[in-house]
Amino acid sequence: MLFPTATFAIFFMIVLALSWLLQPRGERWRPFIIFASFVFYAGWDWRFCFLLAFSIVWNQVFATAIHGRRDTRGRKRLLVAAVAGNLGLLGYFKYYDFFVTSTNNLFALVGIDVPLEARSIVLPVGISFFTFMGIAYVVDVFRGDFEPVGLGKFAAYLSFFPHLVAGPIVRPNELIPQFHTPRDPRYVDTSRAFFLIGTGLFMKVVIANYLAANIVDEVFGAPGQHSSLEILVGIYAYAVQIYADFFGYTNMAIGIALLLGFTFPQNFDAPYSATSITDFWRRWHMTLSRWLRDYLYIPLGGNRGSKLFTYRNLMLTMLIGGLWHGAGWTFVAWGAIHGAALVAERWWRGRPGFVERRWTRGRRAWHRFVTFQVVCFAWIFFRSDSFADAWDLILRLFTAWGEPSPLVSGGVVAAIAVGIGSQYMPRRLPLAIMARFSRLPVPAQALVLSVALLVTHAMGPEGVAPFIYFQF
Amino acid sequence: MSSSENRRRRPRRRTGEGGRRLHSAGSAIVVSLAGLAIALLLNAPGLHKSATIQPEGWKRDLALGATGPLERVSSALLLDQPRRALKAALGRSDDDVIDTAVALPEETPEEPADVETPATPPKHAKFSPGRKLRLWIAGDSLVVVPGESLLRTVAGNRAIAPVGRIDGRIASGLERPDVFNWFTHVREQMRSKKPRAVVLMFGGNDDHGFMTGLPEGREVGSFGSPSWRAEYRRRVAAIMETIERANAFLVWIGLPISHDAEQTLRYDVINTIVQSEAAKRPGIASYLDTYFFFAGEDGGFAEYVEDDTGKLVKMRADDGVHFERPAGDLIAEKVVERLEERYDLTSWRKR
Repeated sequence: MLFPTATFAIFFMIVLALSWLLQPRGERWRPFIIFASFVFYAGWDWRFCFLLAFSIVWNQVFATAIHGRRDTRGRKRLLVAAVAGNLGLLGYFKYYDFFVTSTNNLFALVGIDVPLEARSIVLPVGISFFTFMGIAYVVDVFRGDFEPVGLGKFAAYLSFFPHLVAGPIVRPNELIPQFHTPRDPRYVDTSRAFFLIGTGLFMKVVIANYLAANIVDEVFGAPGQHSSLEILVGIYAYAVQIYADFFGYTNMAIGIALLLGFTFPQNFDAPYSATSITDFWRRWHMTLSRWLRDYLYIPLGGNRGSKLFTYRNLMLTMLIGGLWHGAGWTFVAWGAIHGAALVAERWWRGRPGFVERRWTRGRRAWHRFVTFQVVCFAWIFFRSDSFADAWDLILRLFTAWGEPSPLVSGGVVAAIAVGIGSQYMPRRLPLAIMARFSRLPVPAQALVLSVALLVTHAMGPEGVAPFIYFQF
Repeated sequence: MSSSENRRRRPRRRTGEGGRRLHSAGSAIVVSLAGLAIALLLNAPGLHKSATIQPEGWKRDLALGATGPLERVSSALLLDQPRRALKAALGRSDDDVIDTAVALPEETPEEPADVETPATPPKHAKFSPGRKLRLWIAGDSLVVVPGESLLRTVAGNRAIAPVGRIDGRIASGLERPDVFNWFTHVREQMRSKKPRAVVLMFGGNDDHGFMTGLPEGREVGSFGSPSWRAEYRRRVAAIMETIERANAFLVWIGLPISHDAEQTLRYDVINTIVQSEAAKRPGIASYLDTYFFFAGEDGGFAEYVEDDTGKLVKMRADDGVHFERPAGDLIAEKVVERLEERYDLTSWRKR
């Protein structure tokens, strides 16, 4: 069940009304929202509901057991078992075939036939997201940062449909406490919710889908047929497409949760205005960055050691982060490029006698430009099906200047400009729009909402393309 | 009740960041419902088209039952005008038009008796960088990956010039001109793009019994029935004739084995019709059988297949129907072989 569909609109209107009706009685609201979330998830494939249910029970059992134990050794063993179970599930569904083909092909190089067969396993939507949230729960309980809650609250946390299939990755202490007390039906931040849903829809349905159909798919599909200018614009267009796609989804998720009375953390903060790769990761998929920092980088040792040790941890974190995005070596390469850039920045700043220069307008613009180029270079590997395709694209970028570039149309340039320009929008502008909207009478608000839906629906292509991050 | 008590009961007005007012949950529900209701009326023509082009079944019937009256109300109240104006401004006025007109010869071609007697193939025309072979690739979503591979493959051949982008239309086929009218589109493209080589792939969405655009009074039975076969043959023949009249050579890529054995059997029905129609037109249409390209060792469906070097590669997408890049490359290689059999694309190099 995709957000920008009539089916979801009907589903959500029923859930919205019933959720507020049941809110005052948590013991009734929780089974209801769990049921609704499972119905939402079953919209993809009902069989995977068992997987989600298993993940809920598994993590709850281990969190309760860890909490009940006093001895550190026993707690650690339980934690290792809990995390292994989560990663085992993820590994089987997401990485089994990747592992088999990589192993077979590696051994085939030296003439050894490995009797492993790929199983064509279908990837359950959202498994990477709810697995990470499950791990966060057991680790937080282990660290003593969070006390386990009842099965109902945990099930509601893990399966809550607004974040279920593509995040944001909400930490237990951000959402579960909101289940403790009924949401106040008198004070709902409706204007922010509608603004987020409206902008999210526009970014996904109009910007992302337009760029995908009009340049990105063509350029990445057959680079040899395109001029260097088309390749360059195609790469920038992909940068905007993936941002608009994921930012759009996240905005809708946050807005939908807000209408139900729940607050999710922010997931993007104008990432293409970042002045360094370190800064980029503070702004791009922020909930994943936090997760990787708190549950991978710090447990690996973080920066509590020599410089080389820190660099190793940074590289490992980004390589694993790359692999999390997809079972393919091109995703690992994407992570490696980001890891190398983070290491280089850390090394540069850690040099003896390094003094941070004052930011001038020109210096900031230059840093933003360079950072964006590095990010776009990494996107080439992220989007390409193979290394051969990525190299083809890079070669073609330098060897076909002056050829006709029909794909670089006014519409494509405008969509890229909207995507990049939105990163530099003054923060007070959306606040002012929301404030103005909130002061409108109810009929006028409904009219504004319907006009926004008209524009988005009319400008978007026919049908709804799936969200890029659903496959991760 | 005193006025001071009244004041006490009224909830305090709260504001969020930037001074925006917070509203009640009831207001959220009313705005959402009213906003969606108005949006439904404003977008009624598009919604009705979306409902129409859905696959046959109760969901389509339900959607048509809801969007039909909605479109009539929207039209009566002129609420469809803003959308029409917006579409016109975007140059996409046809988006909401449901076109089921299939301008085909009424006559159904004969079922081939056994083996066709091949006619004399047409002349082996020469193409070179100075006189390029114009190539057009089109079809349903299945054509996209092989199409991209083909574009990559011919990128090194200066005698071939692809015309436009890959014309792949999701969920389309020859059964449902209401989803996308290929009969009109092929005719228009042959006229405007003037390709001399056409690569088509259809049928992936045609393995069911529901057809639109039937001549008045004609009905077809279930998928694979004699009446269905006759009508589908008529449509395949019409596409081939359109290309023949434009003096182009057609390579029609056959449907591959699918993860679903029953679907594979249905694809066989479609493949048989296409193959026999192509066989009637030697030198004009060539059917490329892809069935065994992607079969596993047991002859059944396989997602991973060994390539020429013995490397295990993923050939088929997770849905068990679409292709992955290596599969596209394999098909592209075969398509180029067919083009080279039909046309002289290399002799210019020897000069």
